[in-house]
Amino acid sequence: MIIFLQATVEGLSLAAIYSLVAIGFVLIYKAMEVLSFAQPALAVVGAGIISSLAIDRGIPFWLALFLGVILTGILGLLIERTFLRPMVGEPVFSVAVLTIGIDILLRTVLDSWIGINPKYMGDPFPSYGNFGAVKLGGVNIKYLELAALVTAILLIILLTIFFRKSKYGIAMRATSYDQEAAMAQGINVGRIFGLVWMIAGILAAFAGFFITGGFNTLSQFSFISALRALPAVVIGGLDSIPGAVVGSIIIGLTQGYVAYYQLSFESLIGFSFGNGFSVVAPYLIMFVILIFKPDGLFGTEEVERV
Amino acid sequence: MRGRPNLYTDYQKESSIFSNNTQKSWFGILVTLSFAFCFLASDYWILLLTTSFLIAIAGWGLNIVSGLAGQINLAHGVFIGVGTYASAVVGGISTSSVIGFDLDMIFWLPLAGVAAAIVGLLIAPITVKLKGLNLALVTLALVFIGSHLFSNFKSVTGGAGLGRKVATLKLFGVNLEKGIEIGTFYLQKNQILYLFCLLTCVLAGLGFKNLVRSRAGRAYSAIRDGDIAAEALGINLFRYKASAFALSSFYGGISGALFFTVSGGVEPGTFSLLYSITFVAIVVIGGAGTVLGPLFGALFYTLFPALIQLLLHTFEIGEQSLPLNLGQLERLLFGLFIILFLIFEPRGLWGIWFRLRNYFKAWPFSY
Repeated sequence: MIIFLQATVEGLSLAAIYSLVAIGFVLIYKAMEVLSFAQPALAVVGAGIISSLAIDRGIPFWLALFLGVILTGILGLLIERTFLRPMVGEPVFSVAVLTIGIDILLRTVLDSWIGINPKYMGDPFPSYGNFGAVKLGGVNIKYLELAALVTAILLIILLTIFFRKSKYGIAMRATSYDQEAAMAQGINVGRIFGLVWMIAGILAAFAGFFITGGFNTLSQFSFISALRALPAVVIGGLDSIPGAVVGSIIIGLTQGYVAYYQLSFESLIGFSFGNGFSVVAPYLIMFVILIFKPDGLFGTEEVERV
Repeated sequence: MRGRPNLYTDYQKESSIFSNNTQKSWFGILVTLSFAFCFLASDYWILLLTTSFLIAIAGWGLNIVSGLAGQINLAHGVFIGVGTYASAVVGGISTSSVIGFDLDMIFWLPLAGVAAAIVGLLIAPITVKLKGLNLALVTLALVFIGSHLFSNFKSVTGGAGLGRKVATLKLFGVNLEKGIEIGTFYLQKNQILYLFCLLTCVLAGLGFKNLVRSRAGRAYSAIRDGDIAAEALGINLFRYKASAFALSSFYGGISGALFFTVSGGVEPGTFSLLYSITFVAIVVIGGAGTVLGPLFGALFYTLFPALIQLLLHTFEIGEQSLPLNLGQLERLLFGLFIILFLIFEPRGLWGIWFRLRNYFKAWPFSY
């Protein structure tokens, strides 16, 4: 039972991280119908900025976190303005490949900065911060996992309020609903695109911090964790924010349970799934779900005219 | 029709592989020159061109499914991997850790293509059902599932980080590893490989050109331009989408088997996401959907790093003085080229070539 709870907690905290990246994916997709493969790169670049500010420059952690998140948001905005603006109206495939190009660009620069030694994030509370853990009835919960959960929930609530109440939030919803009609109402759709990328960048930076915080560290392979938000988005449906959250929970829990139960299950059936199966399991689930529901669990079904 | 090479009087003429004598003679000249190249150039350049021929074959493969049939495929590297391992098992030497049957090249080369094609057909029920971005995502999942399988089937692949030796070069019982002597004429291993890859590349290219003008090729283009409309025209979507994947994988498998024979060994970590994306980038940079595009892209991909090295060498810039190391510099410029080509010349290098050609065709008139 303790193992089950432990796996659940770890799975949920992973889910929280994935949901941050996943919401970024969905926001961009809803606004521009672009699948941004650059999102994982933004996440690790955000982590890199935070690390370089907090560790290399010695800036107080909270300020470094704040600056890192904002700078990543601005980076997202810049990417949209420079690379994606000329591509409006181009085929989906071209834009997707373009974001792969952006991904290569960002990660190459980041990799050359990281080098061989993994980078540490800062620590807000040196005595019991990112590296510490608390024991709750036999379950070992890292502070970092708790923080990820709380931050994700807070951010999701904030975003919900933003979309419901604020002027720009409503403008974004209008844009995703019908671009031309939104323009006719005086909404600056170009500005909305920029804003969407900025929000996606901010969310990615938070996710990047939680992926690489504590003992996880930022290495050249960190982006693979962020990339796992992709199956989450696909499971939930590319254009549904609740779907992204549900998909993230499915992926996170799967990964948690597989990590803990794979060995005992393998000895039960006498067949090995191999090393690192927990990393592949999300993609397998996505595979299966796409066969039965090509638009994801919550995505709107695409109606196509000839 | 002298003086009016673009005037076609019948359909057969228009859809022929070489539409006029100029193309035919240029093709002959270029093939002869490339043939002669291996007796003139140094090993370095021979090896470089050999790899670019092989990459071009894989590029044509991806071009069938992505450029012609319009189905996004981010998992081309996995199919290449399947072909590579099929050839390694059939043609490789078995050791204590990996299996191999040490058969002749006439067995392992076609089998590599066939094995990859079978895998392409096996996933057809999924790939046919999806389109657009969902297909891209499924193929992305395939990359991860594929590399997981590659690194865990230790008896076939040697396992992650270790790898294995690939198929041995043995054609009709003649071992080519140490070169062959024909009379007084001596051919090195590199030269043999070069000639063989050149031949395969020419055949693959002609095969692609032939495919474009065939019934299947027209069906692929119809699917790319609108799959519902294509279905309404009586094109069997399942059949053609599945066959596009199978053909593309066949090309990939052949290319992979030869590619890793050139380099000697293969490690499962090679077939990563970046490897698959490289081919997408090569097709995009070269010009998606065109016949010459993948060849241009492959030449660009292999010769570009060599060019950078040459530049660094001639200007005597030490690698240490650069902020990035050479591999990273190449990757950075590669990413940049993907972006720039997509924004400024979506038809890729072929588009540049096309405009250049038309400019000089009409020169000095710009209309």
